[in-house]
Amino acid sequence: MLADWPSLLFNALGWGMATFLVAAGLTLIFGILHVLNFSHGGVFMLGAYVAFTLTRWSGTGGLASFLGASLLAALATGVVGLAVDRAVFRRLAAVDGAYVLVATYALLLVCNGVAKLVWGLNVFSAAPPESLMTVTVAGDVVMPHYALFVIGAGLSVYLGLEWLLNRTAAGRMIQAIAADPWMARLLGIDVGLVYTGTVVLGFALAGLAGGLLVANQSLSPDLAGIFIIQAFGVVIVGGMGSIRGAFLASLLLGLVDSFGSALLPSMPGILFFVALALVLLVRPQGLLGSGRLA
Amino acid sequence: MISRRTLLAGGAGTALALSARPRIVVGQTNEPIRLGVITPLSGLQEFIGSFVRNGAEVAAQMINKAGGVDGRPIVLEVRDEKANPAAATTVARELLGNGITLQLGTISSTVALAYGPLMQAENGINLTCGAGTEKINHENYNPHVFRIGDGTYRMRAQARLMAERFPAVTSWTGIIPDHEYGRTVWAVFVDGLLEFYPAVAGKPPTIIDPIIVPYGSGDYRNFITQAVRTPARGIVNATYGGDAATFFQQARPYGLFRERVLMDAANEFIVANALKDQVPKHWTGSHWYYAGNSSALSRAFAEAYAARTGEAMPMGWAGEAQAAVSAYAAAIAKARSTETPAVIAALKDLTWDTVTGPRTMRREDNQAVKDLEMIQLEPDPGAARGFKVSDYVRVEGAGVIEPPTPGRKMSLRAPA
Repeated sequence: MLADWPSLLFNALGWGMATFLVAAGLTLIFGILHVLNFSHGGVFMLGAYVAFTLTRWSGTGGLASFLGASLLAALATGVVGLAVDRAVFRRLAAVDGAYVLVATYALLLVCNGVAKLVWGLNVFSAAPPESLMTVTVAGDVVMPHYALFVIGAGLSVYLGLEWLLNRTAAGRMIQAIAADPWMARLLGIDVGLVYTGTVVLGFALAGLAGGLLVANQSLSPDLAGIFIIQAFGVVIVGGMGSIRGAFLASLLLGLVDSFGSALLPSMPGILFFVALALVLLVRPQGLLGSGRLA
Repeated sequence: MISRRTLLAGGAGTALALSARPRIVVGQTNEPIRLGVITPLSGLQEFIGSFVRNGAEVAAQMINKAGGVDGRPIVLEVRDEKANPAAATTVARELLGNGITLQLGTISSTVALAYGPLMQAENGINLTCGAGTEKINHENYNPHVFRIGDGTYRMRAQARLMAERFPAVTSWTGIIPDHEYGRTVWAVFVDGLLEFYPAVAGKPPTIIDPIIVPYGSGDYRNFITQAVRTPARGIVNATYGGDAATFFQQARPYGLFRERVLMDAANEFIVANALKDQVPKHWTGSHWYYAGNSSALSRAFAEAYAARTGEAMPMGWAGEAQAAVSAYAAAIAKARSTETPAVIAALKDLTWDTVTGPRTMRREDNQAVKDLEMIQLEPDPGAARGFKVSDYVRVEGAGVIEPPTPGRKMSLRAPA
């Protein structure tokens, strides 16, 4: 079982980075707006459908069209984020958080309904680009190139967000608002604009994740629920709102899930929840949960 | 001598009686037969529920077009049960409260198990349309629940087919989802392997522990890696729908199915429709393969289904719904009543015609005996859908069905 540890390690990295791709937008929105966006899985699913449709239209099967479709999916869901911010989040800014939770759950149902109306109930599947269909075999470890691509994409998104939040003026402004929006407003920062930008970025990240991961998933309205429990777990373990915490938690929970499947083969996935419970017991604020975003 | 007043009174009474009688007759002969179709129309099993709903509607439409049941039309009351026992019993109770005691459409095992006590308490009947658990007609047998389709013995038929077609493939494992249905599929398939390999191939099979996979996962690579490492030359798959498509897709780079025989439990065309020409060559069970059944009823049903839904390749759950609606029609015609006790009595030992041919409802455990159908699918880049059905096999149900043991656990062979 554990003799296969190099494969388990590789698969843990793949699981972790795929989950981080989904969780990034979720934790970003929570970090700034303190909104737990239940519709995130739905937006991820819509991104996957949009990328799938664009790839099928392009008909090339190349890496460029795959990446282009994923970016366009991110753009589309970003626009959805803009509309949601105007129609929902701004209107509910002054009310109790429970109403926002209900509103985001309603949005999830809307996403589900849109997917059924436009694409129906059938299960679809998109193959990875031809250049990512091959594998590298190192000893006993089989490394599909698409899995390597997902690991690279997760790392890139993480580094991109780290750079944005810590190395740019906009990022520092976002962090200032996350820490104290009242003071930021006093200092003349357009808090509303930053909130809108955060929602757009969070939704775009969900759409991007959908586009990048669609080639490894079957596509149906059920996709909205496939990664979302793991993503919420990563956000909670990492510390609500912490990008760095989510990244670390993705790696940690990936290892737990991967090695757990080998240690307890008759109870797949159970160690993920055990780890989640243990972290919450020992460190309820999560690994890096201290109100810091990055 | 009869007085004029008595005559007038008698005449008026007779006229009243005569005028009332036709109303009673009309009420008895033309009153619609209301059937409840309770199936998932939202949630994870909505896709399958849509076939059940459409199949039931097409079946009712065909019966009505042919004159109904003794002149009475069938009217369906459709409800969404979300594949959730709590939601299902709520809507079932609502229909029972409205006098709709004859119900059908269950595809989830847990929902089917929840119906037994409810139907018995409320004097209703449920005909399941694909629920797979063996408990329905064994330890949780309830006289008010009938399985009109193939039960767990389908997996025994699939094991027998493997012994006949691949006598040299004697080592088997499974990709088994971590839920009731998955574990049932594996246990019954193993039972079949242990019976039919020695009998048909003359060799005992080697059973390798199955790989248990989580339900609704986005990443199966650890389980695929485990499967690649097993010495098994045959794999039975019980993952379902989108899970199965994801698993098959992620398994491709590993070549898991390249040198192995793959028997899929019951995805019919779901995986092939998703993966198209990337689908691995495999066998799958089907409740009803429309092109394999050449009866006039099957052809007419497939045509009517396509006309109603636009789906030219209907899946077997539609056929199960047809079988359920026609079972009620046949039982009501036999009983000349829609009362629950009479319909239950009529369903026992009933032989009725369906899209898969005649079925007989076994009296002892309310389990239908029907032929089992299996199809082989393989990629075909030249085909419109990217795959083709390359083989079709029909196994006589009576030869593989387990003995009835209502109220007791099903007895299964297990590896030593």
